[in-house]
Amino acid sequence: MIELIATLAVLTLIKSTPIIYAALGGVISERSGVINIGLEGMMAAGAFTAVIVSFATQTPVLGLLAGVAAGACFGYLLAVAATRFKVDQIVAGTGINLICAGGAAYGLVILFNQPGASPQVPSLGGAYWSLVIAAFVLAGALQWLLFHTRWGLRTRATGENPSAVVSAGLDPLVLRTYAVVISGALAGLGGAFLSIGELNLYSDGMTAGRGFIALAAVIFGRWNPIGATAACVVFGFFEALQFVLQGQIAWLPANAMQALPYIAALIALAGVTGRVRAPAADGVPF
Amino acid sequence: MNGRGEPALSLRGIRKAFPGVVAVDGVDLDLFSGEILALVGENGAGKSTLSAIAFGELKPDEGTVHSRGTVGLVHQHFELIGRLRVWENVLLGREPRRGFSVDERAARERVLAVAQDNGLEIDPNAVVETLPIGVQQRVELLRELDREPSVLLLDEPTAALAPAEIERFFATVVQLAARGTAIMIVTHKLQEVIEYSHRVTVMRHGEIVASAPTHEITIGEIARAMVGGDLPDLATRADTTKTPCLHVKDLNAGSGATRLNDFFLDVHGGEIVGIAGVEGNGQNTLADALTGMIAYAGTIERRGTIGVIPQDRQREGLVMNWSLVENALLGRQHRAAARRGLELDRRRARADAAAIAQRCDVRAASLDVAVKTLSGGNQQKLVVGRALIDDPDFVLAYNPTRGIDVGAAALVQSRLIESRNRGAAVLLISFELDEILALADHVIVMYRGAVLGAFDRDRFDRAAIGRLMAGST
Amino acid sequence: MRRQLGAIALIVVLMALAMIIAGTSPIDGFTALFVGALGGRNEIGETLVATSALLFPALGIALAFRAGLFNIGAEGQLVVGGLCAGAIGAALGIPGPLGIVVLLIAGAIGGGVWGAIAGWMKARFGANEIIATLMLNFVAADFALELVSGPLKGPLAAGAETAWLDPKYWLPTLLPGTRLSIALLLALVLALVLQWAFTRTVFGYDLRASGEAPEAARRSGINIGRLTWLALTLSGAIAGLGGATIVTGELHRFNTQLSPGYGFTAIAVALVGDLQPLWICLAAFGFGILESGGLAMQASAQVPKDAIHVIEGLIIFVLAARRYVATRIEGGAP
Repeated sequence: MIELIATLAVLTLIKSTPIIYAALGGVISERSGVINIGLEGMMAAGAFTAVIVSFATQTPVLGLLAGVAAGACFGYLLAVAATRFKVDQIVAGTGINLICAGGAAYGLVILFNQPGASPQVPSLGGAYWSLVIAAFVLAGALQWLLFHTRWGLRTRATGENPSAVVSAGLDPLVLRTYAVVISGALAGLGGAFLSIGELNLYSDGMTAGRGFIALAAVIFGRWNPIGATAACVVFGFFEALQFVLQGQIAWLPANAMQALPYIAALIALAGVTGRVRAPAADGVPF
Repeated sequence: MNGRGEPALSLRGIRKAFPGVVAVDGVDLDLFSGEILALVGENGAGKSTLSAIAFGELKPDEGTVHSRGTVGLVHQHFELIGRLRVWENVLLGREPRRGFSVDERAARERVLAVAQDNGLEIDPNAVVETLPIGVQQRVELLRELDREPSVLLLDEPTAALAPAEIERFFATVVQLAARGTAIMIVTHKLQEVIEYSHRVTVMRHGEIVASAPTHEITIGEIARAMVGGDLPDLATRADTTKTPCLHVKDLNAGSGATRLNDFFLDVHGGEIVGIAGVEGNGQNTLADALTGMIAYAGTIERRGTIGVIPQDRQREGLVMNWSLVENALLGRQHRAAARRGLELDRRRARADAAAIAQRCDVRAASLDVAVKTLSGGNQQKLVVGRALIDDPDFVLAYNPTRGIDVGAAALVQSRLIESRNRGAAVLLISFELDEILALADHVIVMYRGAVLGAFDRDRFDRAAIGRLMAGST
Repeated sequence: MRRQLGAIALIVVLMALAMIIAGTSPIDGFTALFVGALGGRNEIGETLVATSALLFPALGIALAFRAGLFNIGAEGQLVVGGLCAGAIGAALGIPGPLGIVVLLIAGAIGGGVWGAIAGWMKARFGANEIIATLMLNFVAADFALELVSGPLKGPLAAGAETAWLDPKYWLPTLLPGTRLSIALLLALVLALVLQWAFTRTVFGYDLRASGEAPEAARRSGINIGRLTWLALTLSGAIAGLGGATIVTGELHRFNTQLSPGYGFTAIAVALVGDLQPLWICLAAFGFGILESGGLAMQASAQVPKDAIHVIEGLIIFVLAARRYVATRIEGGAP
C-alpha cells in the first residue's frame, strides 16, 4: 500500500512537470494581456525539436536547449502577431497549434522516414529529476518576480491597462513581447521534458492537450504562478492515478480512464464560477 | 503671476486628421510659466486631441511641439490601473529599487511626500478601484506631479468632482501656478474658467477662434465663440397632466460604494424628473435596476412601455459595424411589429430607420453605412430617436448629451421635452447639473446610493443642490 | 476577396516548398495532388466526400463564431455524432428510409449534447468554451474508443468498431461507383438554411448581435446565457450530423478513424469562407481537394500529407487578422 502511494506521489510530480512549465508560461503571457492558446503547439515544437537535436548531436542537453528555443520562436511569432498586427490572439494561437502539430508529423517522415513516431534518441536519463524540481522552484521564483520586481509590476500593469503603461512612459508592446516569448520558451521546455525527459522519443499527438489543461490551470490558479502550479499538480495527479490504477486493476476501462485529467480540468473550469477575474486587458489587442 | 519670456510650451502649425474628420486644423498656441490657460470649446472641437498632441501621446500630421521640461497630462478618462495600489499607479515606470526588488516602503513614503507637498490627502496603499472617483483623480494628478512637470495639462478635470472638491482642486492648481508651473485646463465649464483662469482660448472645428485674457471677456462672449453664434433654443415646455408611471420604493441593489440604499422615486407621465449627483454615487446601479439588468430588492412598479437612452452609446446602444437600418431594430427586434414569423420585417426596419433619421436629423451618407462612420453626435441622435420612436410611456435617459456637440445636444434635449409634453414620464440621470436644471420639473439629489434631497422647479437652489451632491446635509 | 486570394497564393507557395523539401519537384507534386483530387470519376467522388465531411463541422463552427464563440470541439462532436449513428444503427430494426432519418437525428442529438455541455458550462459558470470544447474532444475520443472496444463492438468486427450497418440504412449514393452519398446535398441545403437564418431571422439577428456587441445585445433584451448555450448546442449538432453522415454514407460503421482531423480543418474552412455559409461551401470544396489530393500526393509523390495540415494552420494564423472571438478567458458568468 505504502509502495502504491509512493509511486503515485512520484508519478504525480513527473506528470505535473510539463504542465507546470506550460502553465507558468500561460500565467506570464496572460498577466501581460496576451492569451496564449498556442501553448499546445509550442510544447509540441519543443518536444519535436528536442528529439531532432538530441538525435543529431547525441547530446540531450543540447536537445533541451533547442526545445526551449523552438518554443520561444513560436512565442515570438505569436507576440508579433498580437502586438504589431493586433490580430485575434485566440485564432492565431490555434493556427500555431496546427502548424506545430502538422510540422512535427511532416518532419517525422522527412527526417526519419517513419510516420507516427521517431526512433529512440538519447534522453536526459536521471537528470530529468532536476527539471522536475526546477519546475517548482521556478513557480516560487515567478511568484516573487511577478509581485515584487519592476518587471513584474510593469508586466501586470500592461495586462490591466496598456494605456496607463503608455502614460507612464513605458512600451506595453515590448513588455508583452517579452512575456509571450518567455511563455513560448517555457512551453517548449515542458515539451522537451515530455520527449527527452520522461521518454526518449517523439510521437504524434504526445502533448495530448496538455497545453490546454495548462490554460485551465492558469484560470483555476487565478493567474498566480503558485496557484497555477497547485492546479497542475491536481491534474498531474489524475494522470498518475489513471496510470497506476490501470496497472493494478485489470478490469478498469483503460481508455475511458485516460479521460480523467480532461474531466478534472472541466470540473475545475466549472468550479471557479464568477469568482475569478482575468487581467482586465487580457486578450484585447492594444 | 504671469511670467513672460520664453513659453514653457509652444505649438506651431499643428494639424491632425482622423478618417473622415480633421480634428485639429492649423493651431498655434503658447503657454507660459505660472499662467493658467483655459482651452474651451464644445465637444468635438479638438481640445482633447490637442492636449494629447501637446503631451506627446499623439503625433500630429503636421506642425511642431516644443516644451521646456516635462509635460504632464491628467486625462479626462483616467489612465489608472484599478487592481493595483495607489503607489504602484503613481510610480509606475519610476519605481524605487532595492536590489532586484521594488522598495515598497520608499515608494509609499515618496507618494505621501508628493501628496503633502501639494496639499493633497491620499493613502498610498489603497487599491485604486476601491477609491471614490474624486480620489482616483487625485491619484492620476499625483502621478503627473511626481514627475515635476513644468507644463501640466488637465483634461476636463472637474467632470467627476462635487462642488467642494472642485474648490480644493483649484486651490492646488493655483498653488502650482504660483510656483511656476504652466497650466492648461481643457474644459467646457465656463464658470470655472472665469473664476480661475488667467487666459482663455476658444476652439471650434479644430481651429482657434478667440483668445483673450480672462478679465477682458465675458461668459456670453466665450459661449458664442464656442458655438459660432447663439445657442440653439430648446423646445418649450407645455402644461401637462401628471399620471403615475414609475414607482420605486425601498430599492436596494448592487454592492460596494455604488450600492443603492433604500432608494425611492416617483415619476409621472408628463414630467421630467432629474437625478442630480456626482458620477459614482449609484447612478449606474439605478439605471441597471430600472432596466432589469441586475437583481434588486424592493419595489419597482412601472406602467406601460419603456425607451432607454444608455450612457455609453458605443458599447451599450449600438453595434458599430452594423448599418443604421439594423441598429434601428436593436432593442425592438422581439416585438411582434418587427417580425414576420421567424423573419425580421426588413421593410419595416428600413422605414423605421428613415423615420428616426428624419425626426432626429441624423446625418449619414445613407441608411446602409456602418454606424461607426457617423460622428458621435449623429450616433447619439440615432440612439435617442430609436428610444423614442415607439412613443414609450417611460423614458430613461442616462447622460443623453454626453460627448456630443452643442447642436446635437440641443436637439436631444428638445426631443426629451417633447416626449414629456406628449405625456411620457422621463427620468433624466445626468452628471451635468446645468442640463438637469434646464430640463427637469423635479430634481432628486443622489448621494452614495440614497436620496438626499428633492426640489421642485420653482424652488431650484443651485447652491443647496451642490451641497447635497457633495453629501453635506 | 483579397484576403481569400492571398490565402490561395500562400497555399500554393507553401505547398511548393513542402514538396521541394520532401525531394519532389513542385510540378510532380501538384500534378499528383490535382490528378489525385480531380483526375477521374473516383477521384472526384472522393474529393466531394471530403468536401461534404468538412462542410458540416465548418458550418457549425461558423455559427458559433457568429455568436462570438470559438468551438474548437467540432472533432469531438463529430465523433459523438458518428458513434450514436453507428451504435444505434447496429441495433435498429425499422424500415430503411425512416431508419436513415433516425440515425441522422441521433447523430445531431449526440453532437448537440456534446456541444451543450460546453454551452451550459459557459452560460452557467462562465467557463471558457475554448478549453471546455477541447477537453471534451479528448473525452469523446477516449470514451468512444472504450465503447467500441468493448460493449459496442460489432460481433463480427475485426477491430474496435461497431457492426456494419444494414445496407438499407446506408445513405443513397449520389455518384454511382463512388463513395459519394447525398450527404453532400444535405450539407448544401443546410448551408442555404443557415444563410437564410443568419441574415433574415430574428434568431440570426440576436446571434450576430451577441457576437459583435455583447453588451449592447444584452441590453437589447437578448438572453445572452440562453443564446450561448443554444449556439454551442446547434454548433455541436451540426458537427454531429456530419459525423452521422460519415457513418451512414461513407464508412457504413463507426470506428475512431472516421475523421482525419476534419474538426480542425473545418476551422480553416470556416475562416476562409469568411463565416458565410455560401462561401464556406466553396472553401470546403477547396480544402476537400487538398485533403483527398493530399493522400494521392503522399502515395505517388512521397510528400507527406501532413504538409497540408501545416498549411491549414498557417492559413488560420494569417486569417486571425480579423476579430472573431468576443469571448475572453475570464471565469465570470456572462
